[in-house]
Amino acid sequence: MKIDCGSYPLMGGYDELLEAPGKPRDGAVGLCDYFAGLPADELEARHDAVDAAIMAAGITFTVYSEAGNIDRAWPFDVVPRIIDKTEWDRIEAGLKQRLRALNRFIDDIYHEQRIVRDGVFPAEVLADSKNFREACVGANPPFGVWAHICGTDLVRDGDGTVYVLEDNLRVPSGVSYMLENRQLMKRLFPELFARYDVLPVDDYTAQLYDMLASLSPREGDRPEIAVLTPGIFNSAYFEHSYLAQQMGAHLVEGSDLVVLDDDCVYMKTIEGLTRLDVIYRRIDDDFIDPEVFRADSALGVAGLMRAWKQGKVGIANAPGAGVADDKVVYAYVPDMIRYYLGEEAILPNVPSYLCMHEADRDYVLANLDKLVVKPANESGGYGMLVGPKSTLDEQAKFAELIRDNPRNYMAQPTLSLSTVPTLCEGAIEPRHVDLRPFILQGRDLYVTHGGLTRVALRRGSLVVNSSQGGGSKDTWIVQGVC
Amino acid sequence: MLARVAENLYWMARYLERAEDTARLINATTMMLMDMPRGASFGWEDLLKVVGLDEAFHALYDEASETAVMSFLIQDERNPSSIFTCVRHARENTRTFREVLPRESWEWVNELYLYASTHMTQALDRRKRFEVLTEIIRRRQAVVGLLSGTMSRDEAFQFMRLGRNVERADMTTRVLDVSYAINLPYQNSQYHDLIWMSVLHALSGHQMYRRHVGVRATDHKVLAFLLNDVQFPRSVRHCLHEIQFALDELPGAEPMRRLQGMLSLVDGADFRKLATSGLHEFCDDIQARLADLNAVIGLTYFRAAHPQKMTQNLFNLT
Repeated sequence: MKIDCGSYPLMGGYDELLEAPGKPRDGAVGLCDYFAGLPADELEARHDAVDAAIMAAGITFTVYSEAGNIDRAWPFDVVPRIIDKTEWDRIEAGLKQRLRALNRFIDDIYHEQRIVRDGVFPAEVLADSKNFREACVGANPPFGVWAHICGTDLVRDGDGTVYVLEDNLRVPSGVSYMLENRQLMKRLFPELFARYDVLPVDDYTAQLYDMLASLSPREGDRPEIAVLTPGIFNSAYFEHSYLAQQMGAHLVEGSDLVVLDDDCVYMKTIEGLTRLDVIYRRIDDDFIDPEVFRADSALGVAGLMRAWKQGKVGIANAPGAGVADDKVVYAYVPDMIRYYLGEEAILPNVPSYLCMHEADRDYVLANLDKLVVKPANESGGYGMLVGPKSTLDEQAKFAELIRDNPRNYMAQPTLSLSTVPTLCEGAIEPRHVDLRPFILQGRDLYVTHGGLTRVALRRGSLVVNSSQGGGSKDTWIVQGVC
Repeated sequence: MLARVAENLYWMARYLERAEDTARLINATTMMLMDMPRGASFGWEDLLKVVGLDEAFHALYDEASETAVMSFLIQDERNPSSIFTCVRHARENTRTFREVLPRESWEWVNELYLYASTHMTQALDRRKRFEVLTEIIRRRQAVVGLLSGTMSRDEAFQFMRLGRNVERADMTTRVLDVSYAINLPYQNSQYHDLIWMSVLHALSGHQMYRRHVGVRATDHKVLAFLLNDVQFPRSVRHCLHEIQFALDELPGAEPMRRLQGMLSLVDGADFRKLATSGLHEFCDDIQARLADLNAVIGLTYFRAAHPQKMTQNLFNLT
């Protein structure tokens, strides 16, 4: 069960490691040699060691189902995905450009709405936005930045073009898996790292800390920073705890906090109340403050919005930032980049059909079997129609959904996502991947070196979400031929 | 330090201590029973009394057979103090404060749990019991050693130290109290020394006793050793000192005041007299004071976490 470059069954699309059968790409020569030289039982043994290490480390995610919530071990594939540094530099520039524009957009939307008045962004899209928060109008977060942590999903099509698939600006998760994946690879394949200069990824938590600290309303070297989690039953609890641990921050639940009459946020400690400066919140807007949003929320803190609007606590991402995390708003990002920055988008969007436009809608309804249809506000791959893999019944159901609420749907052509060799039950086969880099913006901008490569472990599947049979790989940024 | 986190740390340490103490107790008892005459009055029923779970046991089982008692103490999740339940609770607690511990701590606690969940059934059988329980002890000690070697002596550390020593002091007085009562019938028999030695075994104190006190297990010397020795880490006095050092690093005066009362009680004890009468009352008094200290610790440090109720009351001392 070696990786035999010659017999690897390329799928005809773009493969990230091989450009033709038997011919690795520049950055992957050494890697393919290495795996080809590894005896079959050795590869199997390492793979088993990975599984054992993941179980021991308790790297899990929760799958919600009717039968109850199950803690699953994080599925990890041992073959890394390699990206050339020169290509990465361009992607990184594109990601920074995009987040700068998105933040300008959010700040504009909660102030003058110039982009709407100038006719670049349609008022009706805003009017129907589920994630626009009236309570945020007029707020002035530090640096005019609202989305401090962004997870942007990238995909590569058959011709090698890298597209932006979506921007996750609410509470994007996955960065801890990116960091853990590298730890696992270093533990299990130390000799590979002796041959390769792979850009390190573990700077992320320090960068995250610095970004959060820059939001502190008080002067001083050690602001009190906390990660606000919905609690142990949340699917991303592992990540919340991991990030708090890596930053030396507190991990708090809503019930650990209180806002007093002075509109400051306090933590309930063993010595009484201690003021908190910055909250990295991992719960949705709807739940963060029962005074302003859902009154039945037990996860949030009453008065948090008051404290935030008066600048007495930093919150990342800022409440209301999700207004730009919408698959219809997404289609306007290239226009935003032009409008706010006077630049052309470095990274293209996937061509998108907005069902709110009649011509687009007619095209979508006529081509449901070819397109991927997505609801504007879902995440995690739920509520989607993958046309080529759908039944007629499903298509009929979606046609109705679209006619009922056109604003809520958009469609994109089915891309032939690129593949990476993946260890699948005893053989190395191509599997489709995407990539989620994480971008930070506070006083400065920062992009992770690479990101989380998610892989659809089922043959032919394009769905990479961990909740639906996806796994992940380590992602290497390397320079030149190696 | 968050009140909720402090409370979880305290209980996590108590759970792990209880799991280890129970494993030690079962190993020692299994060994001792092999030395006793067949038909001796000490049996599995008495072990249940030692850990204060005889009533809970009989609510679930009819007869205190070896298999039933071992299953109840080792793996039964309906028993809030079974080794497996304790390990599982400790692991769930650790998940909630992973951020305050050195990174490997969670992994090692998790591995202890994974080991327990796959091997506990084997410990029901006498042939594998010693091996499995010893492995539980070994893995728990590895966690203690890891924390000792890599963790700053911060507040988080002190709360675990508190939990560990409150639990340990409770276990020591409990074992002493009940074993003594059970052993009374053998007061002047050939088994007399053997029984006192078995008490030392149950608390893993026989070797240190021999080294520092004497080869013969004399009643009042054993009592002085287990209650008042300054150096032996499972003696009540040593546990109280550890609690004192932990409290020194934490705010709040009331827990320390309660502790001083206990220290003077142990200081003033006459062990020769206790060996003939009053040991039960003495142990009872200490246990009541430990329960009181536990409550005061809760009120002083954890109250912010939940104004109305004290959680985890299933596991309280009294």
